[in-house]
Amino acid sequence: MITIIIGGSGSGKSEYAENYIMSVSEGKQKYYLATMQVYDEEGQKKINRHRNLRQGKGFLTIEQPVDIDMAVRKMEYGEKVVLLECMSNLVANEMFGGEASKKKNEVVEKIIREIHTLQENVTELVIVTNNVFEDGISYDDTTMEYLAAMGRINELLAKRADKVIEVVVGIPLIMKG
Amino acid sequence: MRLVIGGYAQGKFSYVMERYGIQEAVVLDGTMEMTTMSQKNVVINHFHKWVKGCLEKGRNPDLMLEEFLENNPNCIIISDEVGNGIVPMEPFEREYRERLGRCLIELAKKAESVERVICGIGQKIK
Repeated sequence: MITIIIGGSGSGKSEYAENYIMSVSEGKQKYYLATMQVYDEEGQKKINRHRNLRQGKGFLTIEQPVDIDMAVRKMEYGEKVVLLECMSNLVANEMFGGEASKKKNEVVEKIIREIHTLQENVTELVIVTNNVFEDGISYDDTTMEYLAAMGRINELLAKRADKVIEVVVGIPLIMKG
Repeated sequence: MRLVIGGYAQGKFSYVMERYGIQEAVVLDGTMEMTTMSQKNVVINHFHKWVKGCLEKGRNPDLMLEEFLENNPNCIIISDEVGNGIVPMEPFEREYRERLGRCLIELAKKAESVERVICGIGQKIK
């Protein structure tokens, strides 16, 4: 099962995703795949807030900023549910993590392929992704390339997903499933 | 309290005025101070600007909002949604998006109804 949860910043998507995965995880090990890399105090604050939200919910955290399928090797044997947070960081890390930024198609293919591997190895995969598309601003070419990659990945994931849920001001809206 | 959200220029204000058949209302624009008032029909337009103003002045919007809601339990609050874009370079802009988002989540929890307006059409999501 793949579930996609999409929302803007401050939409409440993370909290919803965590509660959602709690509801489908009985008797299974819960994993939290963290894709965000910390560069400064602000990033650390954000991570702390998310950690507090997850506290006591029994997640094992795996830091996986790139090569998301590698997380499978770090998991224990048995049934598992996985919360991946979030796609926007994973795409940015894959695209801009190397010396030269990668092209859209290369990033899209890599991530989709790796997500597929991940999905085959877990019972339930919940992916949090970000609605970064509606500010109407024309950015520089690299950022536009990033937006195009994010858009394509969301589209492909939603096609494969069993459920797609948009979170708006903390309210879940079922878009598929 | 009712909450109405949506993107920029989606006709939220006229939607509210028509939908709720409001003829006489105290309309507070977000650029003004949200004073403690108790009137029958209070509509707050551009709520997002009020949140931004609070943050610019170093005030805590959550506390002021709580007091306002106690005095105006039947108000209608209209706000832009601003979180659906690329994370801004400017730290203040990031803070603003995040804080407004959290304010709206709290309002949505307390609200009797939440509507999302796109092209002037309201969709009831709570």
